[in-house]
Amino acid sequence: MPEPAARPGGRFAPGDRVRVAAVDPDHHTRMPRYARGRAGTVERVLPACPLPDDRARGVPQPRVEPVYTVRFAAGDLWGAGTHTVTVDLWESYLESEGS
Amino acid sequence: MARINDMGGMEGLGPVPLGDQGDARPFQADWEARVFALSRVLIGELGLFTSDEFRDAIERMPPREYLGASYYERWLVGLETVLREKGILPDA
Amino acid sequence: MSGAHASLPIAARVRRLEERCIAAGLVDDARLDRTLERYLAAASPLNGARLAARAWADDAFRALLLDDARAALAELGLADRLRGREQLRVVANSAERHNVVVCTLCSCYPLSLLGPSPSWYKSEAYRARMVREPRAVLAEFGLELPPEVQVSVWDASAEARYMVLPRRPAGSEDRSEAELARLVTRNGLIGTATV
Repeated sequence: MPEPAARPGGRFAPGDRVRVAAVDPDHHTRMPRYARGRAGTVERVLPACPLPDDRARGVPQPRVEPVYTVRFAAGDLWGAGTHTVTVDLWESYLESEGS
Repeated sequence: MARINDMGGMEGLGPVPLGDQGDARPFQADWEARVFALSRVLIGELGLFTSDEFRDAIERMPPREYLGASYYERWLVGLETVLREKGILPDA
Repeated sequence: MSGAHASLPIAARVRRLEERCIAAGLVDDARLDRTLERYLAAASPLNGARLAARAWADDAFRALLLDDARAALAELGLADRLRGREQLRVVANSAERHNVVVCTLCSCYPLSLLGPSPSWYKSEAYRARMVREPRAVLAEFGLELPPEVQVSVWDASAEARYMVLPRRPAGSEDRSEAELARLVTRNGLIGTATV
């Protein structure tokens, strides 16, 4: 299936603070519940890929977006813990947290 | 809508079942290998459906059924579901 | 949702699906067998062990492996172990940091590189608890980390598949690359063992 070219230049760069959207989709998504609404830091920018939310629903031209490895502090996710958790998140799952 | 597969952080699931740490077999039973091969051909080689559609089918299993099924049992249900829903095997 | 066949013993149910796929002209037994054999011949933790051993022996390769794993795979003739849009990210353990990999959503794993994942990796308990209480889970594997070591948990939620580069064991300075590779375990490449 032909796919549109990826949007040039993603929104975020390593070091940016981002917040995961506080959404509750009723379709397939690759945004883990535990990260919803949480703020983290972009650690790496990954190649653009079709959005699984679209592909799972058979959308003819799925959105193609950069994916970001985002690091969260355990304390911000669970209120406890000293570890970090990184999650790979598509761009539309994220909002800017500002500077 | 929370789906049962989205279980990061879920509590009360007990210790990790370590099993036989020396067991390096790729599959625990022949049927598991066959499910694996079938999925690889149908998705990876023939492109009849995407891995996203396959995962979506698994995630829509009723929670009790999902938790009661082993990993490759879920794959089997996923394959049956997608093949049926896409009309490729109407009575899968 | 499930038909009458859902009550069949699992192996019979699998065979039924295969036969339906064959009858529909989608596959045949020979193709399924070939696919499985090719896969098992190519995918194994030994691939990961080779990558780790080379990285221990060669600083430039280590840097490449951590920055652009696909290019590092290509150097070892393993580029075809990534399928479709899959990428590989290798994360290095150090004196200050211990890495461990999970896929909370479905147990994603670098299958084509390392072979099938261990059963415990696919368990609900591992998927649920590793992101929340990694030290407790690692302790169940017999791995106790000093408090000053930071634990980084990597949830493989997109197309990247993760592999841990363990720390080179002390006293291994005189080992050949082949001998180094034999020190690396599958659990070490996931992060539930130190090597």
